[in-house]
Amino acid sequence: MSGNPAPIPDPSLPSADDAHATSVVHQGRSVLLEIIGLSKRFPGTQALSNVDLRVRRGEIHALCGGNGSGKSTLIKILAGVQQGEPGGMIRVGDESSPADAVTPAFADSAGVRVVHQDLGLFPDLSVAENIALGSSFPRRRSGRIDWRRMRTNAEELIERFEIRASPKTLLRDLNRAIQTEVAIARALQGRESGHGGILILDEPTTALPAAEADALMRSLRRYAQAGQSILYVSHRLDEILRITDRVTVLRDGHLAGVHETADLDEDALTTAILGRSLAHEAAVKHVPVSSAGVPVLQITGLRAGPVRGVDLEVRRGEIVGIAGLLGSGRSTILRSIFGDLDREAGEIRVAGAVLPKGSQSAAISAGVAMVPEDRARDAAFLDLPVAANISASVIARYYAHLRMQDRKMTRDAASLMATFGVKAASPAVPINTLSGGNQQKAILARWLRRDPELLLLDEPTQGVDVGARAEIYRVVRDAADAGTAVLVVTSDVEELAAVVDRAVVLRGGRFVAEIAGSALLPQHLNELIYKDVPHVDSV
Amino acid sequence: MSTVSDAGTTGSTRPRRSARAAGVDVLERTGLVLFLIALILWFTIDSTSGDIFTSGANIRQVLSNQSVTGIIALAMVAPLVAGYFDLSVAAIAGMASVTMAALVGTHGYPVWLSIVLTLLVAGIAGGVNGVLVARFKLNAFIVTLGTYTLIGGLLQLYTEGQSIANGIPESFGNWGSLTWLGVPRPFWLLIVAGLVLWYVLTQIPFGRQLESIGSNERGARLVGIRVDRTIFLAFVSSGLLAGVAGVLLTSRAGSADPTAGSAYLFPALAAVFLGATTLRPGKYNVWGTIVGVFVVAVAVNGFTLLGADAWVTPVFNGASLLAAVMISTLFARQRESMARKVLLDGFKREEPADPNTNELER
Repeated sequence: MSGNPAPIPDPSLPSADDAHATSVVHQGRSVLLEIIGLSKRFPGTQALSNVDLRVRRGEIHALCGGNGSGKSTLIKILAGVQQGEPGGMIRVGDESSPADAVTPAFADSAGVRVVHQDLGLFPDLSVAENIALGSSFPRRRSGRIDWRRMRTNAEELIERFEIRASPKTLLRDLNRAIQTEVAIARALQGRESGHGGILILDEPTTALPAAEADALMRSLRRYAQAGQSILYVSHRLDEILRITDRVTVLRDGHLAGVHETADLDEDALTTAILGRSLAHEAAVKHVPVSSAGVPVLQITGLRAGPVRGVDLEVRRGEIVGIAGLLGSGRSTILRSIFGDLDREAGEIRVAGAVLPKGSQSAAISAGVAMVPEDRARDAAFLDLPVAANISASVIARYYAHLRMQDRKMTRDAASLMATFGVKAASPAVPINTLSGGNQQKAILARWLRRDPELLLLDEPTQGVDVGARAEIYRVVRDAADAGTAVLVVTSDVEELAAVVDRAVVLRGGRFVAEIAGSALLPQHLNELIYKDVPHVDSV
Repeated sequence: MSTVSDAGTTGSTRPRRSARAAGVDVLERTGLVLFLIALILWFTIDSTSGDIFTSGANIRQVLSNQSVTGIIALAMVAPLVAGYFDLSVAAIAGMASVTMAALVGTHGYPVWLSIVLTLLVAGIAGGVNGVLVARFKLNAFIVTLGTYTLIGGLLQLYTEGQSIANGIPESFGNWGSLTWLGVPRPFWLLIVAGLVLWYVLTQIPFGRQLESIGSNERGARLVGIRVDRTIFLAFVSSGLLAGVAGVLLTSRAGSADPTAGSAYLFPALAAVFLGATTLRPGKYNVWGTIVGVFVVAVAVNGFTLLGADAWVTPVFNGASLLAAVMISTLFARQRESMARKVLLDGFKREEPADPNTNELER
């Protein structure tokens, strides 16, 4: 990698390093949004510590950082959904508020407008109706909806934001880029163009094909030229480099730097986001896996959804990680193996036998186990006892002597709870009385008691506290040592680097790299996730 | 339930229950049974109703009358455990009643063969619901409301609105009016049906699978339960039980009235929902349902003896349906808030963590 770019000193702004020293409120009128000394503590984590952010008028300002860097928390505080710690200050235009007193009402009157990745639009309603639902429907004196005025409102906004749609078009007939523009128009209605107000876009292009993303970015540039200030949150470095004016980088809740976009290239931005700390390197210890092992899982030419043809082998006793951005198809691979998604093409073999498409029961009898990403939706029986949850994968085994052996089920569940460190009052309490980490351990116990050939883990530590994370991976490593092949997906590259023997990087629907051993470092993984890096281990 | 133990302890420790939680628990479990006993005592003590209410004839009357309602109510339980309504059971019972009378009376088939064929027809009717719900993923409430109405109409068409009474053998027509050990036979049949359903729902894996589906259908699919097949079988079993109720209905009346079945829908529905408030609160269960049937029946019988008119039946059915839904919802909310409190306490005591910080940043 090229040298670490020093944060560019900005004459109008204090640099990151002396930001804390500059505690006076920055009163430059060219700065529309100003956040000073914002901190937020959650039990066990410092989500934000003493972060400053300044967005100028008519600027597109990128907010970057890895997972857990504090971007989402910052946006939530700006929108008044959560409150910061006392001591911080937030100013938008002429209105300011202590960080611990920002309410949704303040955010609204100051002109903070957030457009989330999920746009919150109604696909079966027209553009005009969607826009009207953002404020209130114009009424006639009789109380009836004034349809004509609603349409003219919409027409004005369509003109102002140059949206290629008519007021009558149904939302679902528009592509995602235009839908995003409608969402932006809805958010900004009632605000004169260029007159205050900050538009926050949270990952607006994640679900967009390249051409639509281009169109959207051109529109955003236009809005900025008309005076609109935009805070742009994205993982996509190329977009940030193309359309933003400046970049604020957060890392682990700290301000890591403010940069002029013009001074950055992809390498420099990556370095700025990831930092150069190699602290984790020493902690990584990997068991070398003999490549002669029998492959438990063999995937050839798998195509499904965003996955465009991947090959993969996982051997007995091996933990393999799939790294990639959200939406890159990581989960699609796991779900295709488990039969939860129909694959379009390709062959999946487990222990030599081909798995049929779309059959969970076939996958399960072949010895596949899966801990899905969304525990509440896909795994836990929340109102049922812990014992029933742990036994769900083997329920038929408890039918003996013409009845269910409930006592044996409870006894076994209790001993599995001890083995897997599930903390609960008893196996009889409903699983929703347990903390997230303990629920997840119970789900793991459910599958590992079957001694699976292949264990699929999709974000196994999501919503799980730090202590439980370590325990979960200890349990997974034990299973691998006992011969299970493990395939894990996680967004946390440090976690990935620390727990897997080998990682494959998924980008653009293909595996672009495979790394193991000493090359398995979070920084390196992150670089590969975002862009091509000429490196010894790339395949 | 009640509390989360301290870090490090697992299933070996007993839960420490707060007195209040335990009280709520006991009250919830036994409330409906106590209410039934209170009703019986009241009508026994009251001088207007007392003599007749406690007479053997009245007791036998209530027990055997309610057996049909009870079996129809039981027929709803299996689909409901999986989270699906089956409103068609009353109509299927009516259809079974007419089928039975037609086979044994009009066509002169032997009784045993007629029963077998009737159950077959009822099972198929349940299976049709099952296919529509499990295979085609249609809304069960609407589907079974549709089949309920459709079957009612077809029976009118087939019978031309007339009852079928001719040719029904004495032995069969009288079976439902006789007693065994002093208790009407229909009541024994209800108990047997209850035992069979209880066994199926709680003592074999099928019941656990139904319960898992009712708790989280996607989750059930992802632990390898063959969800569609299980739901289909639940509807078939529901049809079969409704068929038993229909055969009993013909036997008790000695004839088949094409409109008789549909009247059982609301009493049965009220009983099932009342039943879910007791014994295993929040869960549809066999014995709770039977208690529910008799709560409604005893109340209606008692009030009628006190001089109330025809209005008392629908009023009591409706009121108990509303009360059942209200009670179970309120108790469920109470349980939920307790669970949440316990969870928060657990967080405070163990490693504190905020779920937000672990979420994927988008």
